[in-house]
Amino acid sequence: MNTTPSAPPPSGTGDLVVDVRSLTKRFGGFTALDDVSFQLQPDMIHGLLGRNGAGKTTIMQLLTGQDFASHGTVNVFGERPAENAAVLEHVCFIKESQRYPDNFKPKHVFRSAPWFFEHWDADFAARLIDDFRLPVDRRIKKLSRGQLSAVGVIVGLASRAPLTFFDEPYLGLDAVARQIFYDRLLEDYAEHPRTIVLSTHLIDEVSNMLEHVLVIDEGRIILDEDADDLRGSATTVVGSASRVEEFVAGRDIIHREAIGGLASATIGRLTPDERRAATSAGLELSTVSLQQLIVHLTKVSDKEFKEAA
Amino acid sequence: MTTIAETQSVARRGAHPSSTTRIWRVVKLQFTNSWNILVLPVLILGAIFVLNYAIWVIAFRSSDMSENALDGTQYSGSTIFIFAYMLVVAIQAINLTFPFALGYGATRRDYYLGTSLTWLILSAILTLGIAICGQLETWTNGWGLRATFFNAVYFGDDSFAARMFTVFAAFLFFFFVGTASAAVYVRWRANGLIVAGLVLAVLLVGAVALISFTDSWKGVGEWFAVTGGTGVVAWSLVVTAIAAVTGFFILRRATPKS
Repeated sequence: MNTTPSAPPPSGTGDLVVDVRSLTKRFGGFTALDDVSFQLQPDMIHGLLGRNGAGKTTIMQLLTGQDFASHGTVNVFGERPAENAAVLEHVCFIKESQRYPDNFKPKHVFRSAPWFFEHWDADFAARLIDDFRLPVDRRIKKLSRGQLSAVGVIVGLASRAPLTFFDEPYLGLDAVARQIFYDRLLEDYAEHPRTIVLSTHLIDEVSNMLEHVLVIDEGRIILDEDADDLRGSATTVVGSASRVEEFVAGRDIIHREAIGGLASATIGRLTPDERRAATSAGLELSTVSLQQLIVHLTKVSDKEFKEAA
Repeated sequence: MTTIAETQSVARRGAHPSSTTRIWRVVKLQFTNSWNILVLPVLILGAIFVLNYAIWVIAFRSSDMSENALDGTQYSGSTIFIFAYMLVVAIQAINLTFPFALGYGATRRDYYLGTSLTWLILSAILTLGIAICGQLETWTNGWGLRATFFNAVYFGDDSFAARMFTVFAAFLFFFFVGTASAAVYVRWRANGLIVAGLVLAVLLVGAVALISFTDSWKGVGEWFAVTGGTGVVAWSLVVTAIAAVTGFFILRRATPKS
């Protein structure tokens, strides 16, 4: 399909795809990102999680050269992304709020995309169009929110860009369509490994496919861990208030609730011995889903969070 | 295809689309749906022509059918529409394709150069169209009615080539003034346009004041007379170029907003 030899993404420093250091972004008096540092490893699915306005889209805009940093450095494939064709060549970022030329139809989007993405797979795009039942001959303006999201999802998947961002790609997509998206993403990722950054609210739906998780809250990274380490990293202890208090005394408490004489407390990982001790004390243990964990983490104040983390 | 700047990156990390390829695909993107940028304005111009033609026929019939009944049409401003409309086309296209092209991973530089090249190509196409229609108008002796539409006096009465130069320059002028305005809008939104408009107004009023206070209107008039129609048009290219360069630097730091 493509006769020119495909160029590998530029790789300067080590194997990191993304290397962000002390990144700050201000919009007037508002600090959207506050001294953020993180790295992204190649060929992994990363979850960029956080509440609305936490700074997810801002991070992605800075990584894709769509916006400019106030302070700090952003390196993508070892180089600054802003106005760097060699880097941006390998990046696909269709925002949730992506604007399309309003006289475009989806077919125009899919016709023009291959010019910009050298790994574009037209057959894959055609299959996805079928899967999502996307009317390609309808004006973008007339598409439903879900169909518009499908356009972005198809571009993101079929572009096979070495660094692909999905910014809340599911808005308006029903459960079936979202499942199609997750399935196709995983299938295609298995055959064509690449670095994927998935920004989403629907954490439970995607938690099984995430390999690495970044949680951002109020412009700061509050969690940066492998998803495997994170699963089971928190446990909720439920029982009578006094026993719970006794058990969790001296531990970092991520979250606690109490109803009448019952209490529940979410704490960190427990060793098998500790689990046995808890059950013999008449306490119930349950694992905390990624979503619950993040809800707890982003609800607590900054100070509490630092104690918890 | 490979420029000197590209050679280095090729050596460093293998083949990459050259600058030319990257700019050309922006041109293709602009033409992906040419309805707004080409088809619609031409259709509107066609409709204006048809309406004008109907009026000429009425005027011709109701007059004494004299040969010179439609001489006044040489002052027809009907074609002015398509020039001014290109300002709208440029603003509309950039406002819509800028955030889109950046989503595709285009750099602002490549986007701007590709879009500018699009305007050059469009100006050439439209000039060619007007040239052909103007010649047809001449050969058919004013569409059989001695009417004037495409050869209106505003394009100058010099040679055909000079007239087409005027047409081409006028298209470029409106495209790039539109481009600069669009760049201001994309970067600073409505506030930017208001400030830019005010600055421009202050400059114009300042220039008028300066000319008036120094009693230089005569000199200005003489300059136009000496420079001549084609000369003035040539000078407009300077304004066009300033707009184009200004637009580039403004858009270079613009961010796509939602």
